[in-house]
Amino acid sequence: MTAILTEDLTKQFGNLCAVDGLTLAADREIFGLLGPNGSGKTTTVLMLTTLLSQTRGSASICGYDTVREPDRVRSCISYVPQDMAVDTNLTGRENVLFFARLYGVPNPKDRVDELLAVMELTERADDLAKTYSGGMRRRLELAEALVHEPEVIFLDEPTLGLDVGARKIIWEHIHALNRKGMTIFVTTHYMDEADRFCDRVGIIDHGKIAALGKPSELKARLMKDVITVIVDGDYSPVQLDGAVFVGRSGEEILFTAENGREALPALADALNRAGNRVRSMSLREPSLDDVFLQSVGRQEEEHGFEEWKFRMMLRGRS
Amino acid sequence: MKGVLTYIHRDFIRWVRYRVGLVSALVLPAAWLLFVGLALPVQFTGNYLDFITPGILVMTILTTGISSGSLLMFDKILGFLNKFLAMPVPRESILISKILFITVRGILQTTIILTLAVLIGATLLHPVQYGLTYLILFLFGVFISAFSTTVALYLDDHDSFAAFSAMVTMPLFFTSSALMPYDVMPGWLSAIAHVNPLSYAIDAIREVGAGNVPVIPITLLAVFAAVIMVIAGQVFRKVTV
Repeated sequence: MTAILTEDLTKQFGNLCAVDGLTLAADREIFGLLGPNGSGKTTTVLMLTTLLSQTRGSASICGYDTVREPDRVRSCISYVPQDMAVDTNLTGRENVLFFARLYGVPNPKDRVDELLAVMELTERADDLAKTYSGGMRRRLELAEALVHEPEVIFLDEPTLGLDVGARKIIWEHIHALNRKGMTIFVTTHYMDEADRFCDRVGIIDHGKIAALGKPSELKARLMKDVITVIVDGDYSPVQLDGAVFVGRSGEEILFTAENGREALPALADALNRAGNRVRSMSLREPSLDDVFLQSVGRQEEEHGFEEWKFRMMLRGRS
Repeated sequence: MKGVLTYIHRDFIRWVRYRVGLVSALVLPAAWLLFVGLALPVQFTGNYLDFITPGILVMTILTTGISSGSLLMFDKILGFLNKFLAMPVPRESILISKILFITVRGILQTTIILTLAVLIGATLLHPVQYGLTYLILFLFGVFISAFSTTVALYLDDHDSFAAFSAMVTMPLFFTSSALMPYDVMPGWLSAIAHVNPLSYAIDAIREVGAGNVPVIPITLLAVFAAVIMVIAGQVFRKVTV
């Protein structure tokens, strides 16, 4: 039974198509959904967790349809939204116990002890959660999410706002859960994390999947080398046989080339001839950031407006 | 039902630990009773304390009941509601737990007022009369907190909700029969007071105090409470699918 399966999943908010014909499958893996703000990540997660019904298409979790059998779906999933919702005036133990009671697990107290130990929170279990650091609160949420041994966990931006050390710990825990056979569906902004920790990623833009596959495959799909150029003043576009323009990221202009070492001097010549004042050029291997840039394109313009519109649509719902 | 109790347990711990809220919830009604009941230089009726106590009781339930929506609003904006909705616990239990918790909390506060009222000179009633008073307060509490949670489901942020509750609480109180009998009110006020739901509850408690059993007002309050509960349930189902 495939853990997560969607078929032409579509969500329309008025005129805005937040998710457009999403078809994907994930099973016993760490699947990362990447995309800019307002691209449809959260809407997708809300539909998969039975919090929002779709306009068209279907989704099933562990073989249960999210619309027709929502209670069955809810029994085999856990959802951790990005808000860091822990009761700060309750102790860590009370927070987890509350979830254990809600799920009606047998021997809730023992189960809670066990999970606090797994998440390395035993020592601080009886302190109020308001004294916890961001990373500890996230781990507490993971402990809550695990009380009923779900088959699928949805994590919305699990490392948002955490420091580097805490992020690493969270990912190690996610990895450990996956090794036990759990399917983990994460959304994230951090390309480097997705690259390192996700088995497969989907890049979503304007509600559509722009790229889907293993990070290594996606990177290989780009050409071999990436050339980064920084110019002083305006950039005048150039055409060159050996190098392909990918996009711009901040002040960097990116090209890919089959053979970077040979393309580098040729590109420098072409840039100079077109009237660009090249400040620096460098050669590196492609990263998931480059894949993202290539599939999603430039992000600056229109973006603020889109997000505003999207939020208004979401508001209209509730 | 187990879900309802678990949710209530959580809200209860949070309330008790949030000490300022706890103290304010206990001090505020006491202050009203002392200032309005004893210090106000008016004498509409024989024992004004006996007259004003039902008004203060109902007002306490009103202010507490309105905060029921606030409780749900915070769960909504802080992300708890989405977590709860993604669980296999019957979703209505979230709504029912808020309404019950707030009503019971209000009942606890009114107990303090009733005790205090007797201590400072109100007439001590028969246990059955207290029972009926609690029944009326409970029904009114369910009515108000179901109403406020319904509004909270429609509104988006806590500021709008705070504005709503401020707008509703004071006018409802001052246009009710809480402070003065109908016959000393100006005509326009008396007309409003007669249709104010607060007056229903207040008048019913006064009836109880006078030794009657106000069957019709109690029935009406029960019907109101049931209707609003059904509406709240409908709205909740609509906004959470």
